[in-house]
Amino acid sequence: MTKVRVPSGAGESRGPLGLLLVAVPVFLLGWMTVWPILSGLVTTLFPKDAAGFSLELYDRFFSDDYSLDNLRLTLWTCGVTSLILLAVSVPLALYLRFARGPLASYVQTLAMFPMFVPSIILAFAFIRVLGPNGTVDTILNALGLAKIRSPYLTVWGPVIGLVWDNIPLTVLILTSGLGAVPNPAIEAARDVGARPLTLFVHIILPRMWSSIFVVISLTILGLFTAFTLPYVLGPASPEMMGPFMQRTFSDLRNPEMALTQATIVMGFCILFGLFYVRSVARNRRD
Amino acid sequence: MSADTVAVRRRARRRPDWAGLGLGLALTLVILVPMLVVITWSFSNVWRYPSILPQQMGLKFWQATLARADVWSALVTSLSLASVVTLLSTVICLPAAYAFARLKFWGRDVLFFSFLAGQAFPKFGLLVAIAAIFLQLNLISTFWGVVLIQLVGTLLFMIWIPVAAFQAVDRRMEEAARDAGAGPLRVFWSITLPQAAPTIFSAVLLSFVGTFYETEGAWLIGAPQIRTMPVLMITFINNQPVIQYGAVLSVLLWVPSLVALVFTRRVIGSSTFARGFGG
Amino acid sequence: MARLTLNALGKTFGTTTAVAAFSLDVKDGELVCLLGPSGSGKSTLLRMVGGFETPTSGEVLIDGEVVTRTPPERRPTAMVFQSHALWTHMNVFGNIAFGLRIRRLPKAEIASRVGRVLALVGLEGYGKRQTNQLSGGQQQRVAIARALVLEPKILLLDEPFASLDQHLRERLREEVRDIQHRLGITTLFVTHGQDEALSLADRIVVLKEGRAEQVGAPAEVYRSPATPFVAGFIGSMNRLPGSVEAGRFRHGALELPLEGVPDGPAELAVRPEHLVVRAAPGGGAASLRRLTDYGTHRIIDLETSEGARLKAQVADGADLPQGPGLQLEPTAWAVFRNDQVIARSPA
Repeated sequence: MTKVRVPSGAGESRGPLGLLLVAVPVFLLGWMTVWPILSGLVTTLFPKDAAGFSLELYDRFFSDDYSLDNLRLTLWTCGVTSLILLAVSVPLALYLRFARGPLASYVQTLAMFPMFVPSIILAFAFIRVLGPNGTVDTILNALGLAKIRSPYLTVWGPVIGLVWDNIPLTVLILTSGLGAVPNPAIEAARDVGARPLTLFVHIILPRMWSSIFVVISLTILGLFTAFTLPYVLGPASPEMMGPFMQRTFSDLRNPEMALTQATIVMGFCILFGLFYVRSVARNRRD
Repeated sequence: MSADTVAVRRRARRRPDWAGLGLGLALTLVILVPMLVVITWSFSNVWRYPSILPQQMGLKFWQATLARADVWSALVTSLSLASVVTLLSTVICLPAAYAFARLKFWGRDVLFFSFLAGQAFPKFGLLVAIAAIFLQLNLISTFWGVVLIQLVGTLLFMIWIPVAAFQAVDRRMEEAARDAGAGPLRVFWSITLPQAAPTIFSAVLLSFVGTFYETEGAWLIGAPQIRTMPVLMITFINNQPVIQYGAVLSVLLWVPSLVALVFTRRVIGSSTFARGFGG
Repeated sequence: MARLTLNALGKTFGTTTAVAAFSLDVKDGELVCLLGPSGSGKSTLLRMVGGFETPTSGEVLIDGEVVTRTPPERRPTAMVFQSHALWTHMNVFGNIAFGLRIRRLPKAEIASRVGRVLALVGLEGYGKRQTNQLSGGQQQRVAIARALVLEPKILLLDEPFASLDQHLRERLREEVRDIQHRLGITTLFVTHGQDEALSLADRIVVLKEGRAEQVGAPAEVYRSPATPFVAGFIGSMNRLPGSVEAGRFRHGALELPLEGVPDGPAELAVRPEHLVVRAAPGGGAASLRRLTDYGTHRIIDLETSEGARLKAQVADGADLPQGPGLQLEPTAWAVFRNDQVIARSPA
């Protein structure tokens, strides 16, 4: 299904027709992906106020403590979320790779379930369970224990929400990567007496690295500019780059500064983006 | 399967699957319970802290929510947006997907992989860059502005999945139809399309549902004029003191997703889907 | 019904030549088998006749009319594909009726023609079945019916039975031969199985690397292979390296008189059933290695004093002595040099 093969036979002679058929999507892609990025670069490097080339906008961003705090918070959230996500998903993927039976399919169904819960419903559920006077508080109260310090509107709010939201895709990619570990390789290692931990470190992990990097790239790309969950669950100040850009653009009506922020964010992600695209393209080719 | 599976099974019979039980229990608590809480909230007329169960159950807030004009207008906006975007996307992407799958033309591979470009950039950063352009074109806060931005979001899905679907159609089936006297268009209509239909249907459904829930583009480009269901939900969470409104809206909002869950399980469960994401 | 003429037909893919200047005349009602190993260009040849590949040179004529550039839908040919290529989203009737519907025939006529062709392939009453409810043999029959219903001038079959088991293959082969005879339809049949070609064909074309090695009736191709390749490809064939010296072919103690052949290295080709083996009290050219009983016949494995291995078909074999004491006498043979026949046993 994934092969991209050079077609032969009947289609050979229809060069112009093919280009014609793909023209509209390609135009849309160019107009709404390539052009905005180039135009964003030009707009921020040649600001209206300055006569020509100027790094003034970037200067302003990097000398503003509030902006830097937001950037720092975003980086922190990305790092912490990725780590927790991996800590949760690797065991899940390992379990799903090797287990069979009804319990395993139940675990798999649940692990895939968040894919079908829109983040905004997740945000609402989060507040009802972990928010002030939420389900957790109710249960603790019934047991005669003290209330929790709610993560709602703290930096941990977006972290928990984003981990929840990203579990399915992460598990899916890791499981698919684990599929590349052949059963005989594991059998053979067991045969020579490898314990589960040795097995994981020496046999499984080396073949998982590429999936793990893909997962990290994908998560970072998604998290760096996550908007909905940080906007609803996170603190108002400092805020993550997503809500920050939105506020700069819509509320402060400063599209030039918002573009600068967006360009900086893209600069931070460019390596992950390239890596991710390369792995997808490579996978798609073979 | 293989000997490994058998070994696992044998072991499972010897002692309980502790890892599975632990993971199952944890996921139930973390994933299922919050959803049950939301559903319970939507059916409770009165539920005051610190009661563990609602004091009074009923459909009071379902009636109240469904009577709200803003809910209906948001629903209409969301449905028309999702329909228009899906329709446009189908019309422009399916022919392109067919061309990528079956025709040979200049720059085909480069153009095909260029649809990944949108994935290489953080989404909201790209949205802000697009918004800056829309600002000059006066597309901000318009229906068609939101349509455009959501349309771009569906391109990758709506081209890559159908390309795979078209490539999976046995060429010989198409040749047999040519042989029987069908011209290229007739072959596409009578053979290729029906053969690829189940997968394409999943892609169309995913694009509809994805657009229905798309929040960030709608919020950035559409606000304040274009108010979709997810956007309305954000305002409910931030400004609505009556919890049940949000709960009812959540359950309502969830319906399309559950429909998609039923119909697209086959596609999403397949390893191809994960590989499409680079797994 | 129709005559098919291929005129110096050629096809190259990039730098590789699939078919090189191939010419053939298929007579009205004749069944010609294109036989060759995979990659010999036989399928490409068939696909050019069907219109699925455009030749890079030469032309295809049907009843004297040039159709080289005519697309498949406008050619009077019908193809049966290797994997049957039935349309799984239509039932049996829908598959067969598709071509008739495109031609906008009246409903009643479509029904009667589909019914007739279903009866022809022995599938009466199967019209409403889904294609996946059929066995492999039935699916292939539907594919044949689908091709026949359009009453093509030329029927093309591309290894149609390759995915079926031996038993079914033989039965379908007979049925196809039967139908082809009854309808008298000009047929081109691609196969890599020599049995299939020998049992079906009026004429066989043996292909190698896009060229015809030999064209002839099955008996002719079998009895008098034109090249060592044909000799080796069809049937079982012993090949003994040796040399011609003073009008005799020599391989160790084995000698054959040849007339008018210049001296030099040569290769003797002889089929197991054309090799008579006798006990030679004074020591002979070969020794017995093993005897295998196939039920219908027995094969003995021999080794010559020069170290060459060969097989011979014997009636009994139990009477043969162990050790080097066997005399070999080819009754029908050919001698090759540089891929050319230089001598043949007198007919």
